[in-house]
Amino acid sequence: MIVTSWLGYLLGTQVAPVLYFVLERTFYNSLGRLHVAADSSVPDQRNCTTACTMGNACLCRDQASAEEEDHGNAYTSNPQPVPASGWTNAPPVNNHTAVVTTPDQGLPGDNRDRRRPPRRPAPQPPVARVVGMRPRKVTIDELVLDTLAVIRTLVDNEQEPPYAMLALHDIAEKEAGWLSVVHSLINVIPMDDPLGPAVIILLLDECPLPTKESILKLSSSLSLCKRISRMGLQHPARHRNIAAVLGCIAEKLAGPNSVSLLTEGNLEYLLANLDPQCHPAVILHSIIALEKFSQTSENKATIAKAGVTSHLVILEKWVNDPKFLRRQVGFCAQWCLDNLFLKDGRTLTYESADLKGINVLLNSNDTSEYLKISPHGLEARSDASSFESVRCTFCVDAGIWYYEVLVVTAGVMQIGWATKDSKFLNHEGYGIGDDEFSCAYDGCRQLIWYSAKSRPHAHEAWKEGDVLGFLLDLDNKQIIFSLNGNNLPPERDVFRSARSGFFAAASFMSFQQCIFNFGAEDFRYPPPVNFSKFNDHAELSSEDKVILPRHKKLALLRELSFKENCCNLCFDNQADTELRPCGHRDLCMTCAIQIESCPICREPIQQRVEVT
Amino acid sequence: MMASLPRRIIKETQRLTHEPVPGISAIPDEQNARYFHVDVMGPSESPFEGGTFKLELFLPEDYPMAPPKVRFMTKIYHPNIDKLGRICLDILKDKWSPALQIRTVLLSIQALLSAPNPDDPLANDVAEQWKVNESHAIETAKAWTRLYAMKS
Repeated sequence: MIVTSWLGYLLGTQVAPVLYFVLERTFYNSLGRLHVAADSSVPDQRNCTTACTMGNACLCRDQASAEEEDHGNAYTSNPQPVPASGWTNAPPVNNHTAVVTTPDQGLPGDNRDRRRPPRRPAPQPPVARVVGMRPRKVTIDELVLDTLAVIRTLVDNEQEPPYAMLALHDIAEKEAGWLSVVHSLINVIPMDDPLGPAVIILLLDECPLPTKESILKLSSSLSLCKRISRMGLQHPARHRNIAAVLGCIAEKLAGPNSVSLLTEGNLEYLLANLDPQCHPAVILHSIIALEKFSQTSENKATIAKAGVTSHLVILEKWVNDPKFLRRQVGFCAQWCLDNLFLKDGRTLTYESADLKGINVLLNSNDTSEYLKISPHGLEARSDASSFESVRCTFCVDAGIWYYEVLVVTAGVMQIGWATKDSKFLNHEGYGIGDDEFSCAYDGCRQLIWYSAKSRPHAHEAWKEGDVLGFLLDLDNKQIIFSLNGNNLPPERDVFRSARSGFFAAASFMSFQQCIFNFGAEDFRYPPPVNFSKFNDHAELSSEDKVILPRHKKLALLRELSFKENCCNLCFDNQADTELRPCGHRDLCMTCAIQIESCPICREPIQQRVEVT
Repeated sequence: MMASLPRRIIKETQRLTHEPVPGISAIPDEQNARYFHVDVMGPSESPFEGGTFKLELFLPEDYPMAPPKVRFMTKIYHPNIDKLGRICLDILKDKWSPALQIRTVLLSIQALLSAPNPDDPLANDVAEQWKVNESHAIETAKAWTRLYAMKS
């Protein structure tokens, strides 16, 4: 599990456990019945109307009270900032405890790549002040580094967030504070921490959305251009962080504000960073930033017009580079060329990919939506802020099976075994090992995951180039994880709820990547038991051996046609069910058994009758 | 889950493209067919008239059994929309029905702009203003519309 963002994607049931409000109170709003009846498929709202007038104990009101700060006055003085994400149980952080560095401190004059200080305990939680302790002065830089230091310990959405994050969130409520936090992220996140860029995403997700004015101020204070890009070699961490920050904000603000962030200078800077002479980490995050800017179509056109593809075709050649950082650059460049910035005359990689002898792939039809799978189907990467998952194409029910994974990035991934029942709740931060139908190895936080609970294991943290072994012994009902040939003790928990139907499966936090070997190549650390390889037993038709780029896939979907008389809810099955007593039809039994009241008139269902 | 994208979503997307709703545009994200970029025009004779409001709409895994998640990206001064853009609307919560669709949800949201309901507030301070001094609140809403929802 990863903690995606405490703010949550949106308010909704999944966010509910995160918010400290009691969400169980029902809430009514009389507005749902308005003006929508024109559409024939709208349920009869009469029942609603009565309910609506019953009361206005809107749960939203509770939430609103936690956010009494005015939307519009967010940047004016506010003596007691209240965390907008609803941390009502935490006392508001007093502004005076944080020494807000002025944005100037983050300006290009201050280019040192500060090293990460030794890990130290998290700062005193605000509670300490209540009992009369003198508050310690903490700078924003320290808060950022504190967050980085504790981020590995965050394994649970319901866990209280670290004080450093709360404090940063409060500081970022005001424009000047937001700018300071962003500059601090740029200045202090070190190069060598595998979670560095992920922390940038996490913290910026926590902060309020910047206004257009903040964006313009950020752009002008960074004053990026081609010339600044050349300084990247001396200060790679700083420039990687700038690219990561730009990408993250572009993604958050997809739309007109993302367009205003892509100033001429910012675009020139990011493109200049694609020079193969630049530090590979800077190149990598600049590609990703351009990809995220391209989520806004106007930006995509601008970037394409600026000639991004000519840079990418050079970088694409690094796709099999033995240096892992360069390999990541190659992967992302190729992915962009196949999916985003198409170049006339260039063959899409999948069209020329040779998959002879490969009988198992990562299943591009069984993955959460943002995962990037290589055209060869054995390498995957995520650059999204969600926790992206995938299963392989082959399923095993009995016997002893083994596969290996080569670690390309040393951040958070949960890799192991899962059945089809395992759900990919990418936006909520749940993946492989986060339900009772999967079990996973996490070499970054050094944990074994099962049923969303984690236990430490005895291996040291993984690093680029390590080889993980995954042995599934269905005869003896055990899973053995290994790191470079060193076994952990067998895991058995998952067999309590799943006996067969296992797939190799993995989840990826932002900017993580790895390569799978299902036996098409020799294993590096074959276990000394009589095991089978997926690749020897699986079969794939040539049709299934294709990892289509997304635009091709979506185009296929758009052409899909629909049968007459299909279920009005799922459009998958024939409408063959009548609901009683209301008599409404137009749906199938599969849908009917999932609902308790009629979707059209809201009458409680007493009987579902098959009709033909 | 691209190819396993439910037919229901494909169907709705096709219809949104071929028969768009006047005053509303919902465009699926190029990378994620469950994510829609939405523009809603402020309804005429409302304080939001003339503004174009950006929203994001996401269809969760269990859609249509669970409602879409919708949020305003453009700042708006409205008693039922908070500063994070979250919307207080019953059909997005307990009054959801799987027969409702993206288009009907967006029509409801547009209707909410025409008829703010300060008695069921999400943004307390805005609701308070709306109740205490409605004409002033409407002026503020108009000013915000000009400031945030109109192209300069």
